[in-house]
Amino acid sequence: MARATEQIQYETDDPNRIQDVGWTFREVWRRIRGFVVTSINLIIFFILWELLTTYGNINSLFLPKASAMFQELWVGMTTRAPEGAVFSGSILDHFLHSFKNLMTGLFIAMALGIPGGLLMGGNKYVESILSPYVWALASLPRIALVPLFILFLGFTTTMQVTIIVISAVFPIVINAWAGVKTTEKSLIAAAKVFGANRVQLYYKVVLPYTLPFIISGIQQGIGRGLIGVVIAELFGGSNGLGYLIQRSADTFNTAMTFAVLLLLIVMSLSLINFTRWLEAKVAPWRNVNHL
Amino acid sequence: MPISNENIIVAEDLTISYDLHRERKKLIALQDINLEIKKGEFVVLVGPSGCGKTSFINAVSGLIPKSGGSVKVRGDEVTAPGPDRAMVFQDYALLPWRTVESNIRLPYELQDLGLSEEEKKLRVKKSLELVDLTGFEKTFPYELSGGMKQRVGIARALATNPDILLADEPFAAIDAMTREAMQAEMERIVMETGQTCVFITHSIDEAILLGDRVVVISYRPGKIKEIVDIDFERPRMNNSEVKISKKYAELRDHIWNLVKDEAMQTTRGE
Repeated sequence: MARATEQIQYETDDPNRIQDVGWTFREVWRRIRGFVVTSINLIIFFILWELLTTYGNINSLFLPKASAMFQELWVGMTTRAPEGAVFSGSILDHFLHSFKNLMTGLFIAMALGIPGGLLMGGNKYVESILSPYVWALASLPRIALVPLFILFLGFTTTMQVTIIVISAVFPIVINAWAGVKTTEKSLIAAAKVFGANRVQLYYKVVLPYTLPFIISGIQQGIGRGLIGVVIAELFGGSNGLGYLIQRSADTFNTAMTFAVLLLLIVMSLSLINFTRWLEAKVAPWRNVNHL
Repeated sequence: MPISNENIIVAEDLTISYDLHRERKKLIALQDINLEIKKGEFVVLVGPSGCGKTSFINAVSGLIPKSGGSVKVRGDEVTAPGPDRAMVFQDYALLPWRTVESNIRLPYELQDLGLSEEEKKLRVKKSLELVDLTGFEKTFPYELSGGMKQRVGIARALATNPDILLADEPFAAIDAMTREAMQAEMERIVMETGQTCVFITHSIDEAILLGDRVVVISYRPGKIKEIVDIDFERPRMNNSEVKISKKYAELRDHIWNLVKDEAMQTTRGE
């Protein structure tokens, strides 16, 4: 190697071909544009809503004032039911219940779905054994299973979590599975040519390649899981946001119903944006154009 | 670097076939290939799409099993990939989640070449210098143009300091102007390193400009139709005399006539 060392000539005058451009007004605007436009858009939307419900001839039973909705949301999120209360009117209590269930369900779905999907992608036999069940359950509208789970598990939190798991697990399995299966052949060939054994092939190529697929699986799983949360609580249970929607509508507290719907939207968007951020962070090369 | 008399790659009656499960048939990609490649030689394979050129390179690299005959590298039968053979891929095959430097270091992580960290750093640096990509160590492949990506691909192959460089249509996806520049770099790199190179292309010009020998392969079953010696002085790339010479035109015409009939066959289908 000593000979090779001598052959190298260091080039110190090589110009830096990537130049540093400082902050310009245009660049700052480019970064905050989306946020500013969305904020103004939403403010106008809620002002129009408020004006319509104040001056228009609209029954507040069907469409409450935007301000009433926000007030309901604020009060509901800042108060807790007293210790030992049978029923809570606090949105926060129900939100925490639903959120905890959702997180538990998603966690279990990931713990089952990621290894399951990876195994299916990596092993022909596991794939052919599991795929009929995966497709069967994935294609079945999950809501059809709710009565069955209520029968098995009663009106319990376990039942609610089970429905969330069964809703969220399949997008995760299918995405992880697809990720492994679609790993570019030339990347595998390259790794083999440069000496990869089977373990290295999975560890260095297949898994990193599959990671963004898994994240989009989780992203879809969050959406499905939220449907699971609401369905489970609408059908059976005495707590959670789904229950609160039902209950507030039954008692003609439409402002509360709208407040809970808004909260669901905010929760769902936050979670999905988090996964998008995560995806962009771990897989910038995918350069996915999100809607 | 002169070509030695020592054979480095020897294919004897090499046959490669693939099972077409759906049609319950066997596709013979290459049949009874006999080819000896000398150390330091630049051999270019030309032939129509699907004639088995890639199969030959894959057999030499050890990526695919042989169906018959043998391929020997330095007298040893090829059974698996090895650090003495490196490959450059048509679609670059760079790991998109790794930086340029990290991609070039991949071979070091996958196999133990017995190099110290310092030697690895030095080799990476030298490889990047050879392909003129110094300063792009921390760049990701998706931030590079096609030509630059392929230079990373070449640098990765060079970083293992292989005896044999296998290139499967490396410039096929690169625009014409960049392509000429890349051909010149390829010639320069191989001249500097003295590596043996087996190179696949569809371009007859590329074959004549780069090759010491051009092997024309026929279409299904892939057999060697003719081997054409090219004896222009090197470097040929920046020598405008070569391309306008009568000999060049004759060689081009000759190889085209060899390939033409085969190419016609592929358009007629199976």
